[in-house]
Amino acid sequence: MTETVLTLQGVTLRYGKLTALDGVDLAIPSGAIYGFLGPNGAGKTTAIRCAMGLLTPQSGRVAIGGHDLKRNRRKALASVGAVIETPALFPNLTGRENLDVTRRLIGARPAQIDRALELVDMRDAAKRRVGHYSLGMKQRMGLARALLAEPRLLILDEPTNGLDPAGIRDMRALIRDLPTRTGATIFMSSHLLSEVEQIATHVGLLQHGRVLFDGSLDDLSRQQTPRLIVEASPADNAAAVIAGAGFANAIREGDRFTLADADALTTERAAALNAALHAAGCAVSELRLERADLETTFMTLTAQPEDAA
Amino acid sequence: MINALIAEALKLRRSLVLLVAATPPVMVFALGVLIVASGNGPEEWTMQTMAGSAIWAFFLLPMSVIGITALIAQLEHGPNTWSHTLALPVPRWQVFAAKVLVTLGLMAVVSFAVALAGWASVPVGLQFGDDLEMAGQFDPGLALQLYGKMFIAGLLVMAIQWTLAMRFRSFAAPVSIGIGGTFVAVAAASAEQGLYFPWLMPVNVLASEGSRGELAVMMGGLGGLIVFTLAIIWMSRRDWG
Repeated sequence: MTETVLTLQGVTLRYGKLTALDGVDLAIPSGAIYGFLGPNGAGKTTAIRCAMGLLTPQSGRVAIGGHDLKRNRRKALASVGAVIETPALFPNLTGRENLDVTRRLIGARPAQIDRALELVDMRDAAKRRVGHYSLGMKQRMGLARALLAEPRLLILDEPTNGLDPAGIRDMRALIRDLPTRTGATIFMSSHLLSEVEQIATHVGLLQHGRVLFDGSLDDLSRQQTPRLIVEASPADNAAAVIAGAGFANAIREGDRFTLADADALTTERAAALNAALHAAGCAVSELRLERADLETTFMTLTAQPEDAA
Repeated sequence: MINALIAEALKLRRSLVLLVAATPPVMVFALGVLIVASGNGPEEWTMQTMAGSAIWAFFLLPMSVIGITALIAQLEHGPNTWSHTLALPVPRWQVFAAKVLVTLGLMAVVSFAVALAGWASVPVGLQFGDDLEMAGQFDPGLALQLYGKMFIAGLLVMAIQWTLAMRFRSFAAPVSIGIGGTFVAVAAASAEQGLYFPWLMPVNVLASEGSRGELAVMMGGLGGLIVFTLAIIWMSRRDWG
Protein backbone atom coordinates (compact mmCIF):
# COMPACT_ATOMS: atom_id res chain seq x y z
CA MET A 1 0.00 0.00 0.00
CA THR A 2 1.34 3.46 -0.92
CA GLU A 3 2.28 5.62 2.04
CA THR A 4 0.23 8.78 2.37
CA VAL A 5 2.11 11.96 3.25
CA LEU A 6 -0.84 14.32 3.63
CA THR A 7 -4.40 13.34 4.44
CA LEU A 8 -7.48 15.50 4.67
CA GLN A 9 -10.54 13.67 5.93
CA GLY A 10 -13.96 15.29 5.82
CA VAL A 11 -12.53 18.78 6.23
CA THR A 12 -15.34 21.31 6.38
CA LEU A 13 -14.84 25.02 6.85
CA ARG A 14 -17.63 27.57 6.94
CA TYR A 15 -17.57 31.36 7.12
CA GLY A 16 -21.06 32.12 8.37
CA LYS A 17 -23.42 30.83 5.70
CA LEU A 18 -20.66 30.34 3.15
CA THR A 19 -19.21 26.85 2.98
CA ALA A 20 -15.61 27.26 1.81
CA LEU A 21 -14.72 23.57 2.14
CA ASP A 22 -17.36 20.89 2.14
CA GLY A 23 -16.17 17.55 3.48
CA VAL A 24 -12.86 17.62 1.63
CA ASP A 25 -11.12 14.24 1.43
CA LEU A 26 -7.64 14.11 -0.05
CA ALA A 27 -4.83 11.60 0.16
CA ILE A 28 -1.41 12.63 -1.18
CA PRO A 29 0.76 9.59 -1.86
CA SER A 30 4.45 9.68 -1.03
CA GLY A 31 6.71 10.55 -3.95
CA ALA A 32 3.92 12.05 -6.04
CA ILE A 33 3.69 15.40 -7.73
CA TYR A 34 0.12 16.15 -6.83
CA GLY A 35 -1.66 18.82 -8.85
CA PHE A 36 -4.48 20.41 -6.89
CA LEU A 37 -6.75 21.84 -9.54
CA GLY A 38 -9.71 24.11 -9.41
CA PRO A 39 -10.99 27.39 -10.76
CA ASN A 40 -10.26 30.62 -8.89
CA GLY A 41 -12.32 30.70 -5.71
CA ALA A 42 -12.77 26.93 -5.58
CA GLY A 43 -11.16 26.75 -2.14
CA LYS A 44 -7.64 25.55 -3.00
CA THR A 45 -5.78 28.09 -0.88
CA THR A 46 -8.28 27.63 1.96
CA ALA A 47 -7.64 23.87 1.87
CA ILE A 48 -3.89 24.52 1.93
CA ARG A 49 -4.29 26.88 4.88
CA CYS A 50 -6.22 24.17 6.72
CA ALA A 51 -3.47 21.69 5.87
CA MET A 52 -0.88 24.08 7.35
CA GLY A 53 -2.89 24.77 10.50
CA LEU A 54 -3.49 28.42 9.65
CA LEU A 55 -7.25 27.87 9.55
CA THR A 56 -9.15 25.55 11.87
CA PRO A 57 -11.94 23.62 10.15
CA GLN A 58 -15.23 23.12 11.99
CA SER A 59 -15.00 19.40 11.33
CA GLY A 60 -12.65 16.88 9.78
CA ARG A 61 -9.06 15.87 10.31
CA VAL A 62 -5.69 16.77 8.80
CA ALA A 63 -2.69 14.48 9.19
CA ILE A 64 0.84 15.05 7.88
CA GLY A 65 3.29 12.18 7.89
CA GLY A 66 0.91 10.27 10.15
CA HIS A 67 0.81 13.06 12.76
CA ASP A 68 -2.54 14.63 13.54
CA LEU A 69 -2.20 18.37 12.92
CA LYS A 70 -4.50 19.37 15.77
CA ARG A 71 -2.94 17.15 18.43
CA ASN A 72 0.66 17.24 17.31
CA ARG A 73 1.09 20.44 15.32
CA ARG A 74 4.87 20.78 15.64
CA LYS A 75 5.66 17.19 14.63
CA ALA A 76 3.19 17.37 11.76
CA LEU A 77 4.63 20.63 10.39
CA ALA A 78 8.26 19.61 10.95
CA SER A 79 8.25 17.64 7.70
CA VAL A 80 6.56 20.33 5.59
CA GLY A 81 7.87 23.23 3.56
CA ALA A 82 5.40 25.60 1.97
CA VAL A 83 5.03 28.61 -0.28
CA ILE A 84 1.51 29.87 0.31
CA GLU A 85 0.09 32.32 -2.24
CA THR A 86 2.83 34.83 -3.02
CA PRO A 87 6.41 34.12 -1.92
CA ALA A 88 6.22 36.41 1.12
CA LEU A 89 9.75 37.56 1.93
CA PHE A 90 11.11 40.48 3.94
CA PRO A 91 12.06 43.07 1.29
CA ASN A 92 14.51 44.90 3.58
CA LEU A 93 16.62 41.75 3.98
CA THR A 94 18.83 39.93 1.50
CA GLY A 95 17.83 36.51 0.23
CA ARG A 96 20.33 34.84 2.55
CA GLU A 97 19.11 36.88 5.54
CA ASN A 98 15.54 35.84 4.75
CA LEU A 99 16.58 32.20 4.84
CA ASP A 100 18.55 32.83 8.04
CA VAL A 101 15.43 34.15 9.81
CA THR A 102 13.56 30.93 9.02
CA ARG A 103 16.62 28.76 9.69
CA ARG A 104 16.90 30.14 13.20
CA LEU A 105 13.19 29.68 13.87
CA ILE A 106 13.21 26.03 12.83
CA GLY A 107 16.65 25.31 14.28
CA ALA A 108 18.24 24.18 11.02
CA ARG A 109 22.01 24.08 10.39
CA PRO A 110 23.63 27.06 8.57
CA ALA A 111 24.83 24.69 5.83
CA GLN A 112 21.21 24.04 4.89
CA ILE A 113 20.96 27.59 3.57
CA ASP A 114 23.67 26.89 0.97
CA ARG A 115 22.07 23.59 0.04
CA ALA A 116 18.65 25.23 -0.44
CA LEU A 117 20.14 28.07 -2.50
CA GLU A 118 21.97 25.52 -4.64
CA LEU A 119 18.76 23.59 -5.28
CA VAL A 120 16.98 26.63 -6.68
CA ASP A 121 20.09 28.07 -8.36
CA MET A 122 20.04 31.31 -6.35
CA ARG A 123 23.49 31.35 -4.74
CA ASP A 124 24.68 34.33 -6.75
CA ALA A 125 21.66 36.47 -5.96
CA ALA A 126 21.50 35.59 -2.27
CA LYS A 127 23.45 38.67 -1.17
CA ARG A 128 21.06 41.07 -2.89
CA ARG A 129 18.11 42.63 -1.10
CA VAL A 130 14.85 40.85 -1.86
CA GLY A 131 13.19 44.18 -2.58
CA HIS A 132 15.27 44.30 -5.77
CA TYR A 133 14.33 40.78 -6.92
CA SER A 134 12.10 39.99 -9.89
CA LEU A 135 8.98 37.92 -9.20
CA GLY A 136 10.67 34.84 -10.60
CA MET A 137 13.61 35.28 -8.22
CA LYS A 138 11.21 35.76 -5.31
CA GLN A 139 9.47 32.53 -6.26
CA ARG A 140 12.78 30.71 -6.28
CA MET A 141 13.86 32.23 -2.97
CA GLY A 142 10.47 31.33 -1.47
CA LEU A 143 11.04 27.80 -2.69
CA ALA A 144 14.54 27.77 -1.16
CA ARG A 145 13.08 28.85 2.16
CA ALA A 146 10.49 26.06 1.96
CA LEU A 147 13.30 23.58 1.29
CA LEU A 148 15.34 24.66 4.33
CA ALA A 149 13.84 22.05 6.63
CA GLU A 150 14.56 19.30 4.06
CA PRO A 151 10.82 18.59 3.96
CA ARG A 152 9.13 15.33 3.03
CA LEU A 153 6.18 17.34 1.75
CA LEU A 154 6.47 20.54 -0.23
CA ILE A 155 3.29 22.57 -0.57
CA LEU A 156 3.28 25.13 -3.38
CA ASP A 157 0.31 27.41 -3.88
CA GLU A 158 0.08 28.55 -7.50
CA PRO A 159 3.88 28.55 -7.94
CA THR A 160 3.86 29.97 -11.47
CA ASN A 161 1.36 32.73 -10.80
CA GLY A 162 2.45 36.01 -12.35
CA LEU A 163 5.58 34.62 -14.01
CA ASP A 164 6.45 35.31 -17.64
CA PRO A 165 6.57 32.35 -20.05
CA ALA A 166 10.31 31.79 -19.51
CA GLY A 167 9.84 31.97 -15.75
CA ILE A 168 6.96 29.50 -15.93
CA ARG A 169 9.07 27.08 -17.96
CA ASP A 170 12.00 27.34 -15.51
CA MET A 171 9.80 26.94 -12.45
CA ARG A 172 8.05 23.97 -14.01
CA ALA A 173 11.38 22.27 -14.72
CA LEU A 174 12.56 23.00 -11.20
CA ILE A 175 9.42 21.52 -9.62
CA ARG A 176 9.54 18.48 -11.87
CA ASP A 177 13.10 17.72 -10.72
CA LEU A 178 12.56 18.31 -7.02
CA PRO A 179 11.22 14.87 -6.03
CA THR A 180 14.34 13.26 -7.54
CA ARG A 181 16.77 15.79 -6.07
CA THR A 182 15.24 16.12 -2.61
CA GLY A 183 12.96 13.12 -2.14
CA ALA A 184 10.07 15.45 -1.36
CA THR A 185 6.48 14.86 -2.32
CA ILE A 186 5.03 17.89 -4.09
CA PHE A 187 1.52 19.17 -3.45
CA MET A 188 0.94 21.98 -5.91
CA SER A 189 -2.22 23.99 -6.44
CA SER A 190 -2.98 25.57 -9.77
CA HIS A 191 -5.85 26.78 -11.87
CA LEU A 192 -3.85 26.06 -15.02
CA LEU A 193 -4.82 22.66 -16.38
CA SER A 194 -2.00 22.50 -18.89
CA GLU A 195 0.56 23.14 -16.17
CA VAL A 196 -0.68 20.32 -13.97
CA GLU A 197 -0.95 17.99 -16.94
CA GLN A 198 2.73 18.58 -17.73
CA ILE A 199 4.07 18.09 -14.23
CA ALA A 200 1.73 16.07 -12.07
CA THR A 201 1.46 12.35 -11.49
CA HIS A 202 -1.68 12.72 -9.39
CA VAL A 203 -4.48 15.23 -9.37
CA GLY A 204 -7.25 16.47 -7.16
CA LEU A 205 -10.12 18.49 -8.59
CA LEU A 206 -11.87 20.97 -6.36
CA GLN A 207 -14.93 23.03 -7.15
CA HIS A 208 -17.14 25.04 -4.79
CA GLY A 209 -15.17 23.55 -1.89
CA ARG A 210 -15.93 19.97 -2.90
CA VAL A 211 -13.50 17.37 -4.20
CA LEU A 212 -14.68 16.05 -7.55
CA PHE A 213 -11.73 13.76 -8.13
CA ASP A 214 -8.67 12.55 -6.23
CA GLY A 215 -6.35 10.05 -7.88
CA SER A 216 -3.68 9.49 -10.50
CA LEU A 217 -3.62 11.31 -13.81
CA ASP A 218 -4.26 8.01 -15.60
CA ASP A 219 -7.29 7.34 -13.44
CA LEU A 220 -8.57 10.77 -14.34
CA SER A 221 -8.09 10.19 -18.05
CA ARG A 222 -10.07 6.97 -17.76
CA GLN A 223 -12.97 8.96 -16.34
CA GLN A 224 -13.42 10.67 -19.68
CA THR A 225 -14.86 8.64 -22.52
CA PRO A 226 -13.00 9.01 -25.82
CA ARG A 227 -14.77 10.60 -28.78
CA LEU A 228 -14.78 9.65 -32.42
CA ILE A 229 -14.62 12.60 -34.79
CA VAL A 230 -15.94 11.93 -38.30
CA GLU A 231 -16.08 14.33 -41.22
CA ALA A 232 -17.84 12.91 -44.24
CA SER A 233 -20.01 14.03 -47.14
CA PRO A 234 -22.66 13.94 -48.24
CA ALA A 235 -23.67 14.46 -44.63
CA ASP A 236 -27.17 12.99 -44.91
CA ASN A 237 -25.79 9.72 -46.28
CA ALA A 238 -23.08 9.70 -43.61
CA ALA A 239 -25.67 10.28 -40.87
CA ALA A 240 -27.68 7.32 -42.10
CA VAL A 241 -24.59 5.09 -42.17
CA ILE A 242 -23.56 6.21 -38.67
CA ALA A 243 -27.03 5.52 -37.30
CA GLY A 244 -27.11 2.18 -39.09
CA ALA A 245 -23.76 1.24 -37.58
CA GLY A 246 -25.25 1.51 -34.13
CA PHE A 247 -23.71 4.78 -32.92
CA ALA A 248 -26.27 6.50 -30.76
CA ASN A 249 -26.33 10.20 -29.83
CA ALA A 250 -24.13 11.48 -32.64
CA ILE A 251 -23.71 15.24 -32.62
CA ARG A 252 -23.85 16.68 -36.12
CA GLU A 253 -22.38 20.01 -37.17
CA GLY A 254 -22.53 20.28 -40.96
CA ASP A 255 -20.36 17.47 -42.33
CA ARG A 256 -18.80 16.87 -38.94
CA PHE A 257 -20.03 14.23 -36.49
CA THR A 258 -18.92 13.74 -32.90
CA LEU A 259 -19.64 10.27 -31.56
CA ALA A 260 -19.41 9.87 -27.80
CA ASP A 261 -20.93 6.47 -27.27
CA ALA A 262 -18.58 4.93 -24.71
CA ASP A 263 -19.46 1.30 -25.41
CA ALA A 264 -19.19 1.64 -29.19
CA LEU A 265 -15.84 3.43 -29.39
CA THR A 266 -13.21 0.84 -30.19
CA THR A 267 -10.64 0.99 -32.96
CA GLU A 268 -12.33 -2.00 -34.64
CA ARG A 269 -15.70 -0.24 -34.67
CA ALA A 270 -14.07 2.91 -36.02
CA ALA A 271 -12.46 0.93 -38.87
CA ALA A 272 -15.75 -0.78 -39.63
CA LEU A 273 -17.54 2.57 -39.74
CA ASN A 274 -14.90 3.93 -42.12
CA ALA A 275 -15.45 0.97 -44.46
CA ALA A 276 -19.24 1.36 -44.29
CA LEU A 277 -18.99 5.06 -45.15
CA HIS A 278 -16.79 4.30 -48.17
CA ALA A 279 -19.16 1.53 -49.28
CA ALA A 280 -22.06 4.01 -49.11
CA GLY A 281 -20.17 6.42 -51.37
CA CYS A 282 -19.28 8.93 -48.69
CA ALA A 283 -16.06 10.88 -48.95
CA VAL A 284 -14.40 10.65 -45.53
CA SER A 285 -12.03 13.57 -44.94
CA GLU A 286 -11.44 12.90 -41.24
CA LEU A 287 -11.92 10.02 -38.86
CA ARG A 288 -10.04 9.94 -35.60
CA LEU A 289 -10.41 8.72 -32.05
CA GLU A 290 -9.79 11.66 -29.77
CA ARG A 291 -8.09 10.99 -26.44
CA ALA A 292 -9.50 13.09 -23.64
CA ASP A 293 -7.10 15.73 -22.39
CA LEU A 294 -7.20 17.01 -18.85
CA GLU A 295 -9.09 20.11 -19.85
CA THR A 296 -11.92 18.10 -21.41
CA THR A 297 -12.05 15.83 -18.40
CA PHE A 298 -11.98 18.77 -16.04
CA MET A 299 -14.74 20.54 -17.92
CA THR A 300 -16.84 17.39 -17.90
CA LEU A 301 -16.38 16.82 -14.19
CA THR A 302 -16.96 20.42 -13.20
CA ALA A 303 -20.02 20.65 -15.42
CA GLN A 304 -21.62 17.62 -13.77
CA PRO A 305 -20.42 17.56 -10.18
CA GLU A 306 -23.23 15.31 -8.95
CA ASP A 307 -22.67 12.69 -11.66
CA ALA A 308 -18.90 12.79 -11.28
CA ALA A 309 -18.88 11.91 -7.60
CA MET B 1 13.01 31.06 22.41
CA ILE B 2 16.49 32.57 21.96
CA ASN B 3 16.38 31.62 18.28
CA ALA B 4 12.96 33.25 17.91
CA LEU B 5 14.33 36.41 19.53
CA ILE B 6 17.35 36.51 17.22
CA ALA B 7 15.08 35.91 14.22
CA GLU B 8 12.83 38.80 15.25
CA ALA B 9 15.81 41.08 15.79
CA LEU B 10 17.20 40.13 12.35
CA LYS B 11 13.99 41.30 10.71
CA LEU B 12 14.72 44.87 11.86
CA ARG B 13 17.82 45.19 9.69
CA ARG B 14 17.61 48.11 7.25
CA SER B 15 13.97 48.64 8.26
CA LEU B 16 12.14 51.89 8.96
CA VAL B 17 11.67 50.75 12.56
CA LEU B 18 15.24 51.77 13.35
CA LEU B 19 14.76 55.18 11.73
CA VAL B 20 11.66 55.82 13.82
CA ALA B 21 13.47 54.61 16.95
CA ALA B 22 16.33 57.06 16.29
CA THR B 23 14.00 60.05 15.89
CA PRO B 24 12.99 60.76 19.54
CA PRO B 25 16.54 61.07 20.95
CA VAL B 26 17.57 63.27 18.02
CA MET B 27 14.53 65.51 18.55
CA VAL B 28 15.08 65.72 22.31
CA PHE B 29 18.72 66.61 21.76
CA ALA B 30 17.91 69.29 19.16
CA LEU B 31 15.08 70.78 21.22
CA GLY B 32 17.21 70.64 24.38
CA VAL B 33 20.09 72.49 22.71
CA LEU B 34 17.74 75.22 21.43
CA ILE B 35 16.02 75.68 24.79
CA VAL B 36 19.25 75.80 26.78
CA ALA B 37 20.91 78.13 24.25
CA SER B 38 17.92 80.48 24.33
CA GLY B 39 18.37 80.93 28.06
CA ASN B 40 14.64 80.39 28.63
CA GLY B 41 14.91 76.86 29.94
CA PRO B 42 15.40 75.57 33.47
CA GLU B 43 18.58 76.78 35.12
CA GLU B 44 19.00 73.84 37.42
CA TRP B 45 19.86 70.22 36.56
CA THR B 46 16.99 68.54 38.43
CA MET B 47 14.38 70.77 36.78
CA GLN B 48 16.08 70.30 33.43
CA THR B 49 15.96 66.49 33.80
CA MET B 50 12.29 66.58 34.80
CA ALA B 51 11.35 68.96 31.97
CA GLY B 52 13.02 66.68 29.44
CA SER B 53 11.27 63.61 30.80
CA ALA B 54 7.91 65.43 30.73
CA ILE B 55 8.22 66.00 26.96
CA TRP B 56 9.01 62.32 26.62
CA ALA B 57 6.11 61.11 28.78
CA PHE B 58 3.50 63.47 27.35
CA PHE B 59 4.19 63.25 23.67
CA LEU B 60 7.26 61.44 22.42
CA LEU B 61 6.75 58.17 24.32
CA PRO B 62 3.20 57.53 23.03
CA MET B 63 4.18 58.67 19.52
CA SER B 64 7.26 56.40 19.57
CA VAL B 65 5.08 53.50 20.71
CA ILE B 66 2.65 54.15 17.84
CA GLY B 67 5.45 54.26 15.26
CA ILE B 68 7.52 51.36 16.55
CA THR B 69 4.64 48.92 17.14
CA ALA B 70 3.00 49.77 13.81
CA LEU B 71 6.24 49.35 11.86
CA ILE B 72 7.21 46.13 13.62
CA ALA B 73 3.78 44.73 12.77
CA GLN B 74 4.04 46.02 9.19
CA LEU B 75 7.26 44.01 8.75
CA GLU B 76 4.91 40.98 8.69
CA HIS B 77 1.69 42.56 7.38
CA GLY B 78 3.41 44.32 4.46
CA PRO B 79 4.88 41.34 2.61
CA ASN B 80 2.19 39.06 4.16
CA THR B 81 4.71 36.81 5.86
CA TRP B 82 2.32 35.70 8.63
CA SER B 83 1.28 32.62 6.65
CA HIS B 84 4.89 31.53 6.40
CA THR B 85 5.94 32.38 9.95
CA LEU B 86 2.92 30.86 11.66
CA ALA B 87 3.03 27.66 9.60
CA LEU B 88 6.52 26.84 10.87
CA PRO B 89 6.95 24.04 13.41
CA VAL B 90 7.54 26.55 16.19
CA PRO B 91 5.20 27.25 19.12
CA ARG B 92 3.25 30.30 18.05
CA TRP B 93 3.41 31.87 21.49
CA GLN B 94 7.20 32.00 21.07
CA VAL B 95 6.87 33.96 17.82
CA PHE B 96 4.58 36.53 19.45
CA ALA B 97 6.50 36.61 22.74
CA ALA B 98 9.69 37.32 20.76
CA LYS B 99 7.91 40.18 19.01
CA VAL B 100 6.83 41.61 22.37
CA LEU B 101 10.36 41.36 23.76
CA VAL B 102 11.89 43.00 20.69
CA THR B 103 9.33 45.83 20.93
CA LEU B 104 10.00 46.33 24.64
CA GLY B 105 13.75 46.10 24.10
CA LEU B 106 13.59 48.76 21.42
CA MET B 107 11.42 51.01 23.60
CA ALA B 108 13.85 50.57 26.49
CA VAL B 109 16.79 51.52 24.26
CA VAL B 110 14.88 54.57 22.96
CA SER B 111 14.00 55.60 26.56
CA PHE B 112 17.64 55.36 27.57
CA ALA B 113 18.77 57.22 24.46
CA VAL B 114 16.26 60.00 25.13
CA ALA B 115 17.54 60.33 28.71
CA LEU B 116 21.09 60.47 27.37
CA ALA B 117 20.13 63.02 24.70
CA GLY B 118 18.47 65.21 27.35
CA TRP B 119 21.69 65.23 29.35
CA ALA B 120 23.96 65.77 26.33
CA SER B 121 21.91 68.68 25.03
CA VAL B 122 22.78 70.81 28.08
CA PRO B 123 26.57 71.20 27.67
CA VAL B 124 26.13 71.68 23.91
CA GLY B 125 23.38 74.30 24.43
CA LEU B 126 25.48 76.16 26.98
CA GLN B 127 28.20 76.59 24.33
CA PHE B 128 25.81 78.58 22.13
CA GLY B 129 24.57 80.99 24.82
CA ASP B 130 26.24 83.89 26.58
CA ASP B 131 27.03 83.53 30.27
CA LEU B 132 24.72 80.56 30.66
CA GLU B 133 25.08 78.14 33.52
CA MET B 134 23.25 75.11 34.82
CA ALA B 135 23.15 75.00 38.57
CA GLY B 136 23.84 71.81 40.46
CA GLN B 137 24.95 68.46 39.12
CA PHE B 138 23.38 66.06 36.68
CA ASP B 139 21.92 63.17 38.70
CA PRO B 140 22.03 60.02 36.54
CA GLY B 141 20.17 58.10 39.24
CA LEU B 142 17.22 60.50 39.06
CA ALA B 143 17.17 60.33 35.26
CA LEU B 144 17.25 56.54 35.22
CA GLN B 145 14.55 56.38 37.88
CA LEU B 146 12.26 58.78 36.02
CA TYR B 147 12.66 57.20 32.60
CA GLY B 148 12.52 53.70 34.08
CA LYS B 149 9.27 54.42 35.89
CA MET B 150 7.82 56.02 32.76
CA PHE B 151 8.76 52.92 30.80
CA ILE B 152 6.96 50.67 33.29
CA ALA B 153 3.95 52.99 33.54
CA GLY B 154 3.85 53.05 29.72
CA LEU B 155 3.66 49.25 29.41
CA LEU B 156 -0.14 49.31 29.20
CA VAL B 157 -0.07 51.77 26.29
CA MET B 158 2.63 49.68 24.62
CA ALA B 159 0.53 46.52 25.06
CA ILE B 160 -2.61 48.18 23.66
CA GLN B 161 -0.77 49.63 20.65
CA TRP B 162 1.14 46.38 20.02
CA THR B 163 -2.05 44.30 20.07
CA LEU B 164 -3.87 46.65 17.69
CA ALA B 165 -0.89 46.83 15.35
CA MET B 166 -0.52 43.04 15.18
CA ARG B 167 -4.26 42.43 14.82
CA PHE B 168 -5.05 44.85 12.00
CA ARG B 169 -3.37 44.56 8.60
CA SER B 170 -3.84 48.28 8.04
CA PHE B 171 -1.95 50.65 10.31
CA ALA B 172 -4.90 53.08 10.23
CA ALA B 173 -6.61 51.59 13.31
CA PRO B 174 -3.62 51.51 15.70
CA VAL B 175 -2.30 54.90 14.52
CA SER B 176 -5.72 56.57 14.84
CA ILE B 177 -6.29 55.17 18.31
CA GLY B 178 -2.77 56.11 19.36
CA ILE B 179 -3.11 59.70 18.13
CA GLY B 180 -6.55 59.92 19.74
CA GLY B 181 -5.19 58.60 23.04
CA THR B 182 -2.28 61.06 22.99
CA PHE B 183 -4.62 63.96 22.23
CA VAL B 184 -7.03 63.04 25.04
CA ALA B 185 -4.05 62.68 27.38
CA VAL B 186 -2.86 66.22 26.62
CA ALA B 187 -6.39 67.59 26.98
CA ALA B 188 -7.08 65.72 30.23
CA ALA B 189 -3.65 66.02 31.79
CA SER B 190 -4.81 67.72 34.94
CA ALA B 191 -8.02 65.71 35.41
CA GLU B 192 -8.34 63.76 38.64
CA GLN B 193 -9.43 60.61 36.81
CA GLY B 194 -6.62 61.00 34.28
CA LEU B 195 -4.57 58.62 36.39
CA TYR B 196 -6.65 55.75 35.08
CA PHE B 197 -6.23 56.70 31.43
CA PRO B 198 -3.44 54.51 29.96
CA TRP B 199 -1.90 57.32 27.90
CA LEU B 200 -1.56 59.47 31.04
CA MET B 201 0.08 56.85 33.25
CA PRO B 202 3.67 57.72 32.21
CA VAL B 203 2.93 61.44 32.82
CA ASN B 204 1.67 60.70 36.32
CA VAL B 205 5.15 59.50 37.28
CA LEU B 206 5.93 63.23 37.55
CA ALA B 207 2.94 63.93 39.85
CA SER B 208 3.79 65.94 42.92
CA GLU B 209 1.93 63.42 45.07
CA GLY B 210 4.26 60.45 45.34
CA SER B 211 1.43 57.93 45.76
CA ARG B 212 -0.11 58.98 42.46
CA GLY B 213 3.13 58.23 40.65
CA GLU B 214 3.52 54.86 42.37
CA LEU B 215 -0.07 53.93 41.47
CA ALA B 216 0.53 54.90 37.82
CA VAL B 217 3.62 52.68 37.69
CA MET B 218 1.76 49.77 39.28
CA MET B 219 -1.34 50.05 37.09
CA GLY B 220 0.61 50.64 33.89
CA GLY B 221 3.07 47.84 34.62
CA LEU B 222 0.57 45.23 35.75
CA GLY B 223 -1.98 46.24 33.13
CA GLY B 224 0.66 46.00 30.44
CA LEU B 225 1.80 42.55 31.53
CA ILE B 226 -1.81 41.31 31.61
CA VAL B 227 -2.69 42.75 28.19
CA PHE B 228 0.54 41.44 26.62
CA THR B 229 -0.09 37.95 28.05
CA LEU B 230 -3.72 37.85 26.90
CA ALA B 231 -2.73 39.17 23.46
CA ILE B 232 -0.06 36.48 23.02
CA ILE B 233 -2.50 33.73 24.03
CA TRP B 234 -5.25 35.07 21.77
CA MET B 235 -3.00 35.55 18.74
CA SER B 236 -1.44 32.13 19.16
CA ARG B 237 -4.87 30.53 19.02
CA ARG B 238 -6.70 32.54 16.39
CA ASP B 239 -6.94 31.64 12.72
CA TRP B 240 -4.69 33.49 10.30
CA GLY B 241 -6.60 33.46 7.01
